[in-house]
Amino acid sequence: MKEYDVIIVGGGITGAGTARDCAMRGLKTLLIERHDLTAGATGRNHGLLHSGARYAVTDQESAEECIRENMTLRKIARHCVEETDGLFITLPEDDLAFQETFIASCLKAGIRAEAIDPAEAIRLEPSVNKSLIGAVRVPDGAVDPFRLTVANVFDAQLHGADLLTYHEVTSIVKENGRVVGVEVMDAHTKTRKTFRSRIVINAGGIWGHHIAELAGATVNMFPAKGALLIFGHRVNNMVINRCRKPADADILVPGDTICLIGTTSSRLPYDQIDDMKVTPEEVDLLLREGAKLAPELADTRILRAYAGVRPLVAADNDPSGRSISRGIVCLDHETRDGIPGFITITGGKLMTYRLMAEWATDLACKKLGVDKKCQTAEICLPGSEEDARTDRKTAKTYGLGAKAAEGRHGTRSADILVADKKDESLVCECEGVSVAEVNYAIETLQSKNILNLRRRTRLGMGTCQGELCACRAAGLLAKANGCARRSVEDLAAFMNERWKGMFPVAWGETLAEAQFTSWIYEGVCGLDSFVKKEEE
Amino acid sequence: MKFDTIIIGGGLAGLTAGIDLSRKGQRCLIVSSGQSALHFFSGSLELCSLDEDPFKAISSLGEDHPYTKIGYDNIIRYSEAVQPWFKEVGIDFVGEHGKNHWRITPLGGFKRAWLTLDEYANIPSDGTMPWKKVALLNIDGFLDFHTSYIAAGLAERGVETMVKGISMPELDRLRENPTEMRSTNIAKTFAGDLIGALAARINEYAKDVDAVLMPAVVGLTGSTDVHRLKEMVVRPLHFLPTLPPSVPGIRIQMMLKNRFQKLGGTYMLGDSVVSGEFENGRLKSICTNNHGAVKFEADNFILATGNFFSKGLTSTVDGVREPIFGLDVDSLEVRAEWYRRNMFEAQPYMNFGVSTDGCLRAMKDRKPVENLYAAGSVLSGCNSLKEGSGAGVAIISALHVSESILKK
Repeated sequence: MKEYDVIIVGGGITGAGTARDCAMRGLKTLLIERHDLTAGATGRNHGLLHSGARYAVTDQESAEECIRENMTLRKIARHCVEETDGLFITLPEDDLAFQETFIASCLKAGIRAEAIDPAEAIRLEPSVNKSLIGAVRVPDGAVDPFRLTVANVFDAQLHGADLLTYHEVTSIVKENGRVVGVEVMDAHTKTRKTFRSRIVINAGGIWGHHIAELAGATVNMFPAKGALLIFGHRVNNMVINRCRKPADADILVPGDTICLIGTTSSRLPYDQIDDMKVTPEEVDLLLREGAKLAPELADTRILRAYAGVRPLVAADNDPSGRSISRGIVCLDHETRDGIPGFITITGGKLMTYRLMAEWATDLACKKLGVDKKCQTAEICLPGSEEDARTDRKTAKTYGLGAKAAEGRHGTRSADILVADKKDESLVCECEGVSVAEVNYAIETLQSKNILNLRRRTRLGMGTCQGELCACRAAGLLAKANGCARRSVEDLAAFMNERWKGMFPVAWGETLAEAQFTSWIYEGVCGLDSFVKKEEE
Repeated sequence: MKFDTIIIGGGLAGLTAGIDLSRKGQRCLIVSSGQSALHFFSGSLELCSLDEDPFKAISSLGEDHPYTKIGYDNIIRYSEAVQPWFKEVGIDFVGEHGKNHWRITPLGGFKRAWLTLDEYANIPSDGTMPWKKVALLNIDGFLDFHTSYIAAGLAERGVETMVKGISMPELDRLRENPTEMRSTNIAKTFAGDLIGALAARINEYAKDVDAVLMPAVVGLTGSTDVHRLKEMVVRPLHFLPTLPPSVPGIRIQMMLKNRFQKLGGTYMLGDSVVSGEFENGRLKSICTNNHGAVKFEADNFILATGNFFSKGLTSTVDGVREPIFGLDVDSLEVRAEWYRRNMFEAQPYMNFGVSTDGCLRAMKDRKPVENLYAAGSVLSGCNSLKEGSGAGVAIISALHVSESILKK
């Protein structure tokens, strides 16, 4: 059996970043995820490339980390980032005096923050609430967490790391009190396997609470739910925030073809973290507050509602979870709990994943006696490298999907093989995903089902929410994996998952679309008879 | 402008009513926005699929159901006329009146159907497969039809399939554009002179099989090409449904429309009704989007505007409305109760629709509008998706409303 130096548990951005860092430092690395990459909080956040301005007044340390990582991601993850800049607006009901404190705090943390005239703000961002009385421009942006995670994992694999998705860690293997590996269960075959390693890094986000328990350690995680709404088109081109103390639903972020309003913040019992529901009250609040940032939102179609869990480490008894620092927590369980070989990396946020990975990898290297420097802040992710390669497999001649694919995969889109015209045919028309891109995602980016494809390509994420493309993609998957029945069951699960995000906001066009989708998939296709009892 | 009856909505219900009334001498106007549920027609009409015997299933429906309001005996009578009625229009359906059969779905599943287009594959009610070995063909690069699903479904029932792809140089033009390889565009290509060449390609694979199955991508503008192709192919040729748009559905809509116009009906395509003038509990006239202040008057009106996806109903965060006249709507007040979390459960919102009295007259301010009837999926009280009654409710309610108008 292959003996690893490091096993990382958790296929979110933290685990992905840690796997990349470990692999780049020459460690034999295995990344294990119980579902798909980004299936937890990573795939359920705002996609905001924080400048740190939001934290500047309340948490200087987080603000400084943010702006540093913000600048780093612009360099190493160009193809995952949109440099939109952001506005912090003051509305008549807000205290304009806060602006001064805000700017001073930003500047102190090293964040460019410049007060601009409201008229200038409206010119820069026409969707903004015209009644604003003040605006500050900051280097906020948008980041695609799916793309970022996949790029990190991809690079880890290019550096020799192994990846196991759909494998759940069922126990942490110990010998003489020392962690020496993990036992996992294959979600598809239901068989158990053991993998050995010298170090196990727990990067399970909120689920890391449980992973730590398996190792015999207690990490008190604080599950705070945040709900968001996705709108059907890109209303704003700059991030819009409220210039006041952080509150509910005060950030509007553009991303690809859509925009997102969020978030709420509420305490969640730990046993509900796998089954989050967005309530009508949360939807109403997000809409009401969102319309204050950009009034147009009140009449914009909502595609879906979803919620993520902030993996905060409980520090005090604040019931809202907001005053807890977003600071990084890296626990050496050898010194903390007397469990050698076990590390937990948690806290933090999407923005600081790379730094979190660095801390965790530094600690692992120290324990393994490896003296290699972290290079993840300097070396670009695959897709964001300088495009000077001479080994292009195809000329970039293909059609509509090509531009979209380039946006998604950066320079790696050159690896999307187009053998003939058929490969250029669009599977997903909303997001411009071609047959070739789907096949690339299946072969190169470990897409085993439609959900994976959605996260790798944006297939089914557009206005129609997978009306026809899901079925087309299922057909291509059936061809690739040779199992028609499994791909139809997968299609049923995918459509049901889409519906779960749609029904909390299903009125107007969204309800009409949902009804149409039901008529196609259930009425014409009979998909209801293929629903598998057990779903992800 | 004055008509005997004005029908709002040009889908299956509206056209059925329009043709029936015109045949019986009425001067009718249909205002149609264009697309309808026929654009995703499966090739089969469903009357009620809850049981092998559609009428047994119908007799057990609740009292608010449109079928119950229409009455069992009436439904028997209307339903007997459906097959000949379509034949007159030039559309041939097959099926037993009192027994549902099976159709094959695009995912290789089997669903109950009442009448199926004669060019489509259909399986007897006892499930006996009519073939041992079939050639299953697709058009190369056509993504809205997947042979692997169908082959798997057929294999489970003991049918051996030989899967082949057909490629013809004439389709290359469609491949130039990544969004052009869709059913209707293929059907535009597979027409006229090309039918012979297509038949020759199909025949290459038809030798050792009992039947040939292929996606319904022939016959967009008429049945002639379908019949020619079937004659030229050396084995029985059956179509299977594709993902939308539905080629035969579009053809049927067009043939029904032509029939209606031939009977003297006026069909305003791409127009929509924006308002109505009510007087003494009657609808007096309507105005349309394209005709501004022109008032269209009639003795009777039929609302056949469909459900949410056809905009016959609209909804906001606060509730459900009938958007043209503000008619009474049967729905649920609390939004959270509109849905079930599992997509495949019966969704309560599917039952929403316009309130009607026992004669299917639409209610406004809790009183029936004397001369405004509702037909098709705009009616409340049924979940046609779960019952398998979409086409049935459309046709039967249209014929019933038409009869009520004529009886006046």
